[in-house]
Amino acid sequence: MHTVFGDMFISLSLSSALQVSILGFIGGVLSGFIGSGGAFFMTPGMMNLGVPGVVAVGSNITHKFGKAMVGAKKHGELGNVDKRLGIFLILTSFIGIRIAVWINSMLFKSGGGDGHGSGGSAASNLYISMVFIGILTVVAVSMLRDALRSGDGEGDQGPSRKIADFISRLNLPPYFFFPAADVRVSLWILMAVGLATGYLAGTIGVGGFIGVPAMIYVFGVPTAVATGTELYLAMFMGAFGAINYAYLGFVDIRLTILLYMGSLIGIYVGAYGTKVVKEVLIRIVTGTIILLCVLSRGIAVPVYLRQLGWIQMNPGWDGYFNTASKFMLFAAGGTGTLIILYNVIRAYRQRRHIEHRLRKIQEAPASSTVCLEVPKANKIEKAAVN
Amino acid sequence: MTQVICISSGISSKARRLAESVAEKLGYPRHSREELLEAAIAEGIQVSKLETATIKPHIFNERLGLEREYYRAFITDYLCKRALEGGMVYHGRSAHLLFPGIMHVLKVRVVEDESTQINDVMQQIRVDRTKAQKYLLEVESDRERWVRSLYGVSWQDAAYYDVVLNLGHISPENAAAVLANMAQLPDFQMTPSSKRAMENLMLGSKARVMLARDERTFRANVKVRADSNGITVTYLPQDAGLADVIPEVLEPLEGEREIRATMATTNILWIQEVFDTASEAFHQVVEIATKWNAAVELLQFFSENGEEPEADFEGQEQTLNDGSLQASFSRECIGGIEDEDTQTVCDDKGLRATQETLARLGRSGGGRTIFGTGEQIVKSIDRTVPYSLVVVGNICVSKGHAARLRMVRQLQSYLSGRIKAPIVSAEDLKTQYLFSKRDILRMIGYLGLVALIFVLVFTHQTWVLKFLSGTEWTSKVLAAGVVFLFIPVIAYLYSNVTRSLMKLIRME
Repeated sequence: MHTVFGDMFISLSLSSALQVSILGFIGGVLSGFIGSGGAFFMTPGMMNLGVPGVVAVGSNITHKFGKAMVGAKKHGELGNVDKRLGIFLILTSFIGIRIAVWINSMLFKSGGGDGHGSGGSAASNLYISMVFIGILTVVAVSMLRDALRSGDGEGDQGPSRKIADFISRLNLPPYFFFPAADVRVSLWILMAVGLATGYLAGTIGVGGFIGVPAMIYVFGVPTAVATGTELYLAMFMGAFGAINYAYLGFVDIRLTILLYMGSLIGIYVGAYGTKVVKEVLIRIVTGTIILLCVLSRGIAVPVYLRQLGWIQMNPGWDGYFNTASKFMLFAAGGTGTLIILYNVIRAYRQRRHIEHRLRKIQEAPASSTVCLEVPKANKIEKAAVN
Repeated sequence: MTQVICISSGISSKARRLAESVAEKLGYPRHSREELLEAAIAEGIQVSKLETATIKPHIFNERLGLEREYYRAFITDYLCKRALEGGMVYHGRSAHLLFPGIMHVLKVRVVEDESTQINDVMQQIRVDRTKAQKYLLEVESDRERWVRSLYGVSWQDAAYYDVVLNLGHISPENAAAVLANMAQLPDFQMTPSSKRAMENLMLGSKARVMLARDERTFRANVKVRADSNGITVTYLPQDAGLADVIPEVLEPLEGEREIRATMATTNILWIQEVFDTASEAFHQVVEIATKWNAAVELLQFFSENGEEPEADFEGQEQTLNDGSLQASFSRECIGGIEDEDTQTVCDDKGLRATQETLARLGRSGGGRTIFGTGEQIVKSIDRTVPYSLVVVGNICVSKGHAARLRMVRQLQSYLSGRIKAPIVSAEDLKTQYLFSKRDILRMIGYLGLVALIFVLVFTHQTWVLKFLSGTEWTSKVLAAGVVFLFIPVIAYLYSNVTRSLMKLIRME
């Protein structure tokens, strides 16, 4: 992939633009399906296309800003946003983002570049990849463990209470009460979570993977409110991150609008998927996709190590590693998306079939009995007609 | 005369004495929270586990969520039965919420000054003042969580009480005299319609308990509502296999009411005065319900004077009796008492027919009638039921078009801050949730703007990238500012295109 302005921005052909849009679509589907941002797929995907890690993160966090704004508005209408909690988290998350942006830009410069693309970006790419691998491995393994536990018939044991119990035993005043979420949380815990969320959002663009579980497991916030509040938080974090990265010249607005082209449709498809796919399957599919994304990023790591001179490797192999990494990422995301799409299309067609049957019932004479086929479980629901 | 007095309090020995004294004065049995807990434990409900899980800062798991529903239904059934037997006095921490929507229940909140409460605690558990104060705070906090978990509201919300008594200023015996006198007011007498509402509440709770007891259905997340037209059970798609089982489990109740099982993932509340299955609004609501796999709950709403939904007059929930509606518009002059003989019996304004049609379509979520203000609507809503949409249709139909529109807007505005769901008028349904010609125009307009932005950006890539990677601080600030302003615009435009597209293929 050719770059312009030194190593900063890639030159976009129709093919690469299409690939970025597909990344956006797959990321959007996964995002709607999982209920978190699709950055875990889009950021490494862009890196595989030759986009420097820091630009991929900057462009993606900018994309997240607009997307979260749309999502937060919707959740706000449903009363799922605790603005007070969001504001408390925002303050410290900004510090986290500033730390992340600072580390990323310093590493980008130290990795051979002057900050504006005249050199390499191996150090920042390696750093982003390692944080990505570390965090997402924990997330994927937890999800798969939960799914397997559900499969063993222990699904209703619920999430582990160890963290919540431990936190509740600590006496860390001052405490604040958040009425919409109906929780009382220590300021110190709030600050720690905000900082971690901001740092991860600024580093790899996946703050939601920390923010949502923390709100559910540590604060005890209802799931819907946690998701809505995280989107509200993501809107501000996205805006702050976008401004910071744009100020440093690390936002490629072309990539951002191409991502939108795919992701906003993908979110609808993914969200529809959650209604027609079993909970346990959602966890297995999600966990597996994330794990494969981690593996894909792991495959690219030797290239950065070689570029930094930490290992000896034939530079000609870079292409193989990158291709393998890219193939694995697209295979993982693509397969996951196909599974979701298959279920969505099947449910959609069955719904249309039911609607057709309902119209017949409405038109039917009032003395017959009509059977409706219930789509997912293939069961029969009787609708008696007087 | 039959009265039900519910006294809600925190830790207070005086409140207990007050309840005993009121019961003695009125000659009613006194029931307490301890009695309920004993009965629930004897039933096999894991109350202590439920309480512990509620007050700990973690999310409920699925099993405890079902146990909570079981407990709530069980205590409602238990108390309704006793209340219908001839009146009662109940004392507990969430007493005022036990009979949602039953207007003749006298709901009392008892408060005491903090020092009296601390002294009570010091005597009860033999601790010093500091520990007693801390204990009191913890208990109040636990109580708040418990009530919110069970009923979805704050126990401190004064709107749910009829009267607040400060026992720091009045003795329990004198307070009991006040309550005993107050209970004689016409507002707190059981009327035929409020009796029917309580019977429906009991029947719905009984049905829920039966489903919780049966091994085939105890794991199912179901919601039950009973009205004069039948018992409606809504269940989730993953429990689709229960469609045939639910009527079997509830067979003992079938003689009393028709059983309807509706598969739904969410609920749509439709508030309207006159229902008509041939109306455009009906078809639109059904279309949305089918798309969302939602049950449609009908709420027939009569605003008494048709002037202000918040107007200060006595409200009353009524249910239908054999399809006929008790149109009681003269409650002000009779102080809330409804005498069936003096009422004008008229048609039910399409409620039953609409319910039946929805049942045929597999979308029925039950139906009921409410007289009064927006406040009565809010009080009657079960906060534990997930609503995705509230539709406000025609109300005050006797008024002119402009007045009706104003009333709908006022009701929408009143409900919007109180119900966690989008509140839309029936007239806005099409524009907001269904695809119309206006959407085509809007989609084309937004799509045109998006295409223009794409063309401009991609035909001027070098210039755009140069602008974004400026090295001067002024150009950096400008780039950051432009990104900050540009992104919301493109996100807004493109999200509208996507939304319209999804509406077009009916997949939003």
